[in-house]
Amino acid sequence: MLLAATAMRSVAAPQEIDAQELMRMLAGVESATASFVETRYSPLLKSPLVTRGVLSYRRPDLLEKHVEFPSDERMVLEGDRLTMESASANRRLTTRVGAAPDIASLIESVRATRAGDLAALERYFKVGADGTRDNWRLLLTPLTPALGKYVRSVEISGSGVRMQRIEVQEASGDRTVTEIEEQPR
Amino acid sequence: MTRGARIIIVLWLVTLAACGVSLYRNLSVTTDLTAFLPPSVTPNQRILLGQLRDGAASRLVLIGLEGAPGDVLARTSTELARRLTASGLFAYVDNGATAAGRPEEALLFEHRYLLSPAVVPERFSTEGLKAALAETYRLLGSSAGVLVRATLPSDPTGEMRQVLARLAPGTGPDTKHGVWFSRDGRRALLVAQTRAPAFDADAQRRAVKTIDDAYDAVRPGASRLLLSGPGVFASRIRDTVESEATRLTALGVALVLAILYAAYRSIALLGASLLPVATGLVVGVAAVAFGFDKVHGITLGFGVTLIGEAIDYPSYLLIQARPGEPLADALARIGPTLNLAILTTVFGALAMALSSFEGLAQFGVLTIAGVAAAGVTTRWVLPALLRTRPASPRPPDTQVLLNRAEGAARHLKWAAAALTVAALGLIAWKHGQLWDDDLSSLTPVSESAKQLDRSLREAIGAPSLRYLLVARGTSREAALQGSESAAAWLPDAVRKGWLVGFDVPSNYLPSEKTQEFRRAALPERAVLASRLDTALADTQFRAGSFTPFLDAVDRTRSGPLIDVRTYEGTALGLKINSLLFRSEDEWSALATLNGVNAPAELAREASAHGQALIDLKEESNKLVNAYKNQALAYVALGLACIAGLLVAALRSATLALKVIAPVLAAVALDVAVLVLLGKRLSLFNLVALLLVVGVGLNYALFFARRHADEGERARTLLSLAVCAGTTLSAFGSLALSRTPVLHEIGFTVALGAALSLVLAAAFAARPERRPPPV
Repeated sequence: MLLAATAMRSVAAPQEIDAQELMRMLAGVESATASFVETRYSPLLKSPLVTRGVLSYRRPDLLEKHVEFPSDERMVLEGDRLTMESASANRRLTTRVGAAPDIASLIESVRATRAGDLAALERYFKVGADGTRDNWRLLLTPLTPALGKYVRSVEISGSGVRMQRIEVQEASGDRTVTEIEEQPR
Repeated sequence: MTRGARIIIVLWLVTLAACGVSLYRNLSVTTDLTAFLPPSVTPNQRILLGQLRDGAASRLVLIGLEGAPGDVLARTSTELARRLTASGLFAYVDNGATAAGRPEEALLFEHRYLLSPAVVPERFSTEGLKAALAETYRLLGSSAGVLVRATLPSDPTGEMRQVLARLAPGTGPDTKHGVWFSRDGRRALLVAQTRAPAFDADAQRRAVKTIDDAYDAVRPGASRLLLSGPGVFASRIRDTVESEATRLTALGVALVLAILYAAYRSIALLGASLLPVATGLVVGVAAVAFGFDKVHGITLGFGVTLIGEAIDYPSYLLIQARPGEPLADALARIGPTLNLAILTTVFGALAMALSSFEGLAQFGVLTIAGVAAAGVTTRWVLPALLRTRPASPRPPDTQVLLNRAEGAARHLKWAAAALTVAALGLIAWKHGQLWDDDLSSLTPVSESAKQLDRSLREAIGAPSLRYLLVARGTSREAALQGSESAAAWLPDAVRKGWLVGFDVPSNYLPSEKTQEFRRAALPERAVLASRLDTALADTQFRAGSFTPFLDAVDRTRSGPLIDVRTYEGTALGLKINSLLFRSEDEWSALATLNGVNAPAELAREASAHGQALIDLKEESNKLVNAYKNQALAYVALGLACIAGLLVAALRSATLALKVIAPVLAAVALDVAVLVLLGKRLSLFNLVALLLVVGVGLNYALFFARRHADEGERARTLLSLAVCAGTTLSAFGSLALSRTPVLHEIGFTVALGAALSLVLAAAFAARPERRPPPV
């Protein structure tokens, strides 16, 4: 009887996923490369600002966002070294995360998710997860005032070990949506 | 008790009570080192003292946490920062996580158009606006987009970025787990700035204790707390010195009491023999408190040393008196010699009391008042209290031993003379390396503590304590313009690797000239609005979104310029006040430098631009040197006074020379031994040598005294042995200390006292052939 009830429950919600399990699954990924399209929807803009480029990750802590259009910009977060490079403006700025805690924690939301590092996420965000293994959603709400000043929430969704979409609700009222096309390996 | 005796005792008690009440009411002790130092002569020394007192750099406490996993250290760091901020003792506490959202940031944002170096008239032309907007649009699409967006309506040209770029040179520590960590990730880092000035040793100690307590309260298991900074050094040194001094003084006092008891075999006599020195201390300190605004802690600390010889006065009197003999009779015999013993010390300190250096003057006044009071107590109060020496068991029969020792010492006469000549030769040969002018040797910091300070300072990027760049001017405005000129060439020096970073007050408080130039670059609202509309047509930004920008420019155009009051009550305000100040009729704007690698190049470049690089270490050495030279001059003057007094009192230059010669020889030998041990003399040694002169003269005077019979001579010898024994015990105990200050004083006095005794015995003329003294 008890056995049957347990079986019943697992049949009723066969693939319901929680944050721990999701992170364990994602932690199995060594590296990932994806093309992305990021769109900023803002009342200040005549039309949404669209950027395209390549997003890559390599275990344990390298995240690179290379914007190829409309201008050539690279952002690399490795360890706690944050480098922002602008080929079009011929400028390069390397800083430590400590000098830019707000941006850093926002980028960390992507890197830590990609790395399956729940502890790193929980340092900056209240973490919630729902959906199934094949269609999951991670909802991050900032804990630190430094980030809360800028960001209301970050929603990352994906399927299996692939990250597919990042949506950031900014405190300014702007919304940025990043669609990610991960190359299957 | 006779009526006279009663009057004397009442007078004595009234004096003590008056001094006690006056001390209770007026005693105000300061630990401000700079009050003790001479009134500085050069502008650089004024800056040095100002920085030592309450410079921003000297208020910094550098904090490291290590010995636990990173996430544990990070949590400890956060909790520690929270508790320290809550304590209210710190102007700010920073562990990397608190960097954003300081109240200063709002102020800087509000005044961005006066602070941004990019504000020039062209910036607000249609073309200039178009270019700035294009740059902003580009950044909006970058990873920093969210930050750009937050201030976009009020700062579309990105002036705040320009302001922050100069303030955050990106040389801060690494961040892990959200807080600062050292490069190797093993040490979490914090920095705190005390509200209290650096010289306020008690407040610094409270701040250090607050950090220790906060850490203990959150201590996660096995981690360690590392602290550094000038305030930490000072309070740690004070703790060690005080605990060692207490321990060793207790030992010294126990030995002294044992010796005195062995000599008197009477508790009453033992008690009586302590009265003069106690009276001397109370009267001496009261005199200093009366004569000066504040009594310096150092005066109190070393005052005990200076009045130390007063413990000998009752020994000379009480041992000289035969059991049952009225003290007045004994006084009749040794009175003139005792008078001279007291007066020589008073005369020796006269010159010092008149010094313009407050520290020296306090020493002088304390010595004169203390020794005179102790002398008066010995001469009049003790006889009134005791009348006769109580009959007590005979002291141990040391007469034969002492006689032999004295005889042996006389054989040493020529050897002692030869050694003295050799010592003088050594001192003359080494005179260039005799003195240690390094201010830091006065408060020595261990090598491991120095190393910790270096590594924390480098990791946190805290400013150097040694180098400063100063821009001077006849007004605040002129100094700030100099500061701006320095800020213009220093980035180039950073690129060349001469230094790692710098901070100038003109970054937060530009000169009025610069502020006015920037304000004049801002167009009036209607003009700006129309140019902005034209510019926006060519961009992706929607028109009408930038009213907050127009408002902000308008506010700046019609608002006041930034001045010191703008930052009142913030950490920036504190920083500006310590970097920009007036002394006499000159203004100075300082730049703090960190990671200085090429001081010579920096000094050259600075003077080429009309500023100057100050090496605080060099300045402090010059200062100590000047102090020492002054002190030496007063000591020489004091010796001359003593010589004059002796010639007048003994009515014979030869006799005076015979009294002074062994003392000077003892001082020379003492110094020679210190030199041979590889030591350099500091002001502490000088104070110690003054005491050697004081006790040495007493020995020589009593040796030179004429004795009526063998018994009296034996009692004199015994009293000298007791005096030397007590001095050796008290200061020999101090010499055991591992704290350099205490060890130096103890060693110098103990050695000098021993040498004085031997040499006084060696040079003393044979009693039979001596002409009678006064």
